[in-house]
Amino acid sequence: MWSFILRRLLYNIPVYLGIILLVMALLRVRNPVYAYLGKNADEKQVEQFEKSFGLQDPFIVQYGRFLWNGAQLDFGESWKYKGTTVREKLLASIPPSLSITVPALILTTMISITVGLLSAFYRGRWIDRLLVIAAVLGMSISFLVYIIFGQFVGAFLPKQAGWGLQPFEISGYKPWYTMASTDIFGVTVPYPSHISPTTWVAFCLLPVLISVIVSMGYDTRFYRAVMVEECNRDYIITAKAKGATKNKIMFVHMLKNAMIPIITRIMTTLPFLITGSILLEIFFGIPGMGRTLITAITDMDYPMIQGFTAVIALLYILSIILTDVLYALVDPRVRLS
Amino acid sequence: MTPRRNSTTRGSSAVLLTVAFGMAALSGVALASGLSDRDRESDPKVLHLPMTTDGPKSLDPVEGSTTYENRCCSQIYDTLVQYKYLKRPFEIEPALLAEMPTISDDGKVWHFKLKKGVHFQDDPCFPGGKGRELVASDVFYSWKRAADPKYQYKSYWLFEDTIVGFDEFKDAQEHAATFDYNAPVEGMRLINDYEFELTLKRPVQQFMWKLAMFQLSVVPREAIETYGNRFSRHPVGTGPFMLKKEDDWKFGTSLVLHRNPTYREEYYPTEHMPEDVEAGFTKAAGQRLPIVDRIDISFYVESQPMWLKFSAGELDYTTVPETAYNDAFARRSGNLKKSYSDRGIVAHKVPLLDFIFRGFNMEDPLLGGYTDEKRALRQAICLALDWDELNEAYYNGTAIVYDGMISPGMDGYPENGRLPNAFRGPDLDRARGLLAKAGYPGGQGLPTIDYYTSNGATSERMAALLVRQLEKINVKVNPRLVDFSTLIESVDNKKAPFFSFAWGSDYPDAENNLALFYGPNEAPKPNNFNYKNAEYDKLYEKIRMMPPGPERTAIYEQMRDMVIADCPYAGSMARIRHYLVNPWLLNYKPTETFFTWMKYLDVDDSKRQGAYSR
Repeated sequence: MWSFILRRLLYNIPVYLGIILLVMALLRVRNPVYAYLGKNADEKQVEQFEKSFGLQDPFIVQYGRFLWNGAQLDFGESWKYKGTTVREKLLASIPPSLSITVPALILTTMISITVGLLSAFYRGRWIDRLLVIAAVLGMSISFLVYIIFGQFVGAFLPKQAGWGLQPFEISGYKPWYTMASTDIFGVTVPYPSHISPTTWVAFCLLPVLISVIVSMGYDTRFYRAVMVEECNRDYIITAKAKGATKNKIMFVHMLKNAMIPIITRIMTTLPFLITGSILLEIFFGIPGMGRTLITAITDMDYPMIQGFTAVIALLYILSIILTDVLYALVDPRVRLS
Repeated sequence: MTPRRNSTTRGSSAVLLTVAFGMAALSGVALASGLSDRDRESDPKVLHLPMTTDGPKSLDPVEGSTTYENRCCSQIYDTLVQYKYLKRPFEIEPALLAEMPTISDDGKVWHFKLKKGVHFQDDPCFPGGKGRELVASDVFYSWKRAADPKYQYKSYWLFEDTIVGFDEFKDAQEHAATFDYNAPVEGMRLINDYEFELTLKRPVQQFMWKLAMFQLSVVPREAIETYGNRFSRHPVGTGPFMLKKEDDWKFGTSLVLHRNPTYREEYYPTEHMPEDVEAGFTKAAGQRLPIVDRIDISFYVESQPMWLKFSAGELDYTTVPETAYNDAFARRSGNLKKSYSDRGIVAHKVPLLDFIFRGFNMEDPLLGGYTDEKRALRQAICLALDWDELNEAYYNGTAIVYDGMISPGMDGYPENGRLPNAFRGPDLDRARGLLAKAGYPGGQGLPTIDYYTSNGATSERMAALLVRQLEKINVKVNPRLVDFSTLIESVDNKKAPFFSFAWGSDYPDAENNLALFYGPNEAPKPNNFNYKNAEYDKLYEKIRMMPPGPERTAIYEQMRDMVIADCPYAGSMARIRHYLVNPWLLNYKPTETFFTWMKYLDVDDSKRQGAYSR
């Protein structure tokens, strides 16, 4: 297995380098300096800016420098946020994103698989039709509508009406944990020292619920299709013939055999846990990765865009390799060779 | 025993007296500082203010350029002079200065006297963590930073061609191995710790306005040397508010500003406008500043959550988002709806110092030029455009459409915004006549005009409206929707024949707008039109040296009319910002011209609590 992982990693190095090369080349199609310095920057300012940030160097030098520094996890300093490194911004924006995306993924996957199983098992009957209609309806409504409606009904109305229970904030974000660190064999290991569930509920649960509702439509339909395919397999007929209970057929036989597409779906989602949901983060004022990246793009903050892209691309490649490994773990027919 | 007891009694009496005097003195100080019987620690006064953006990018004034950076830096730092809070039209008063600068008869030598006892905020960068006193050399140090290539000269435009020897200093330092802050500048003379003198190249009246701009705030050298690049996150100034820790600024989310306990002695102004009495802005006169203990500023990229938070009583004021305008105001009358006024909410309309226009490149072979035919072509285009329609469609009809380039509220702004000599549309018959005069009867023979504007849904729709309006006189326009960077590049390189831009004045003096047509300011400088008129340039050089007054205003008007006749732009329009203020926010007189006003604000927590429990 380790030789497989190593080989896949080596194969993917040119892909990774290519992604970074492409991003850096695309960013340099237009000179960002005018947008950065504003419309009245004179030639001297432009020249000084280009000099300060190494933009006058040949492209290959800039590329090599980025790779060399990136290998040491140094993506440089943000152009816009002076005195702040890209690494700092990355590390600061990952936890808020994960505070939303991880619970959302867990909840969505659990609910969608269950609903998909039910729907597939009762295929063609009223319960299946009802669930399919609900999924299609859920998919048909814009994400933005869910957010605006969710903020209004979930957070604003209870506050305006002065209800006793006002669980959600309209927008904003406060860390719901404090970090501490401890030394283990000379290595500093950070850990959350204090967790405040009420803070998480106030600032994160509403966006999580909205995310779950939006994703459920897509996921339910996907898992239903997977389960329906499994329903037609011989082993299900055999299990039924042997008198296995419905629950056993669904949750033991079907679920186990449907793991490959389930893993594929979950694993392809993993990198996006980090990147977060741009719309949710913007509307709820959550300083996560998605919002930070979008702001960097609109600000033409090259080091931020390059640094974020490098990390996201790396995560994506790693998740693909991990998916292959997991295939072999859940399905004995798959060999890592 | 007795004598001892007696002595003890006498001692006790002495202690009691001392305590009593001490208490009285303390309460006196407390009253003077506006503290009254309130304990600032356990019962702090807190403002909850919004900002429609993802916030500032830097809290270092020399790197700041946006209005958001202005809003934040203006609370942390001080400038030599500041805007009078309640006075309209705007006037300047001393801030760090003990008195207004004295200016020599020839207008070139400015003598400054600093207030004594102004201290920087306490910070570990100072010995013992105690902020030291601000002295004259700090002013020079802070200003020289604008000439440091490390900061990409972002703020140097404020000094360009102004102080004797400063441009030369900048050029010399650019090629030096290290920037020498101790190198002398001919026009900057230190007299003592509290006095200094500036020698200007020529008398420039508007320099006084520039002295009030946040980029010219005074910073301590120790903090820059201690924090380096991180100074932008770890600001140290002399302003009314401060950050207690770097974490007070959460990028893109919030900024918490704490009252600076060592803030210089400053009091709420007594000078005001007559209407301020009824509005309640005069009640705090004489109160020690800043009044509140903390300001919680939250940033909103999207206006929807800000609007909801204001409606839920969680924000002290809000600007009214375009999408919520009809929710707050009656469409016909423009008055605040009863549902809001019943809650004690007050609306304010603040005209911005805007000059929104469509510019012509005067060097373009088709649209540029100064012959009668070329003028006629541009005038025809101006007369075909309907700014009122644009205003109705995209600004809820609330923006101000006006003639000339001088924004509302400034000297030289025409009465009611109208001028008889202006080419304001729509006047299609006249437009067609002028088009024929230009040599394109019925638009025949006129090539398609490239119109550059930034991309984005609203810009695209605005461009479509412009295309439709010009089609009425058979002028064909090809909208070039480009990203902002390309738009700037195209205008700077004089490649855009017709373009959409806007100008927000840096200070409330029409000179700032008139500079946009000054020949030597041609692109990439602010004269994006590349307009050149020798007579105009001479007048501009003259008005720069003139103090405000009827004579100067008459020249402003003359220059305005010269530009209108040559027609290097089509326009104009200024936006109005609508503010809604909750009843518990006191002393708030909204303005977007300066941002030092947070120190004057107060909050009535009893009213706020009432609103929450409603």
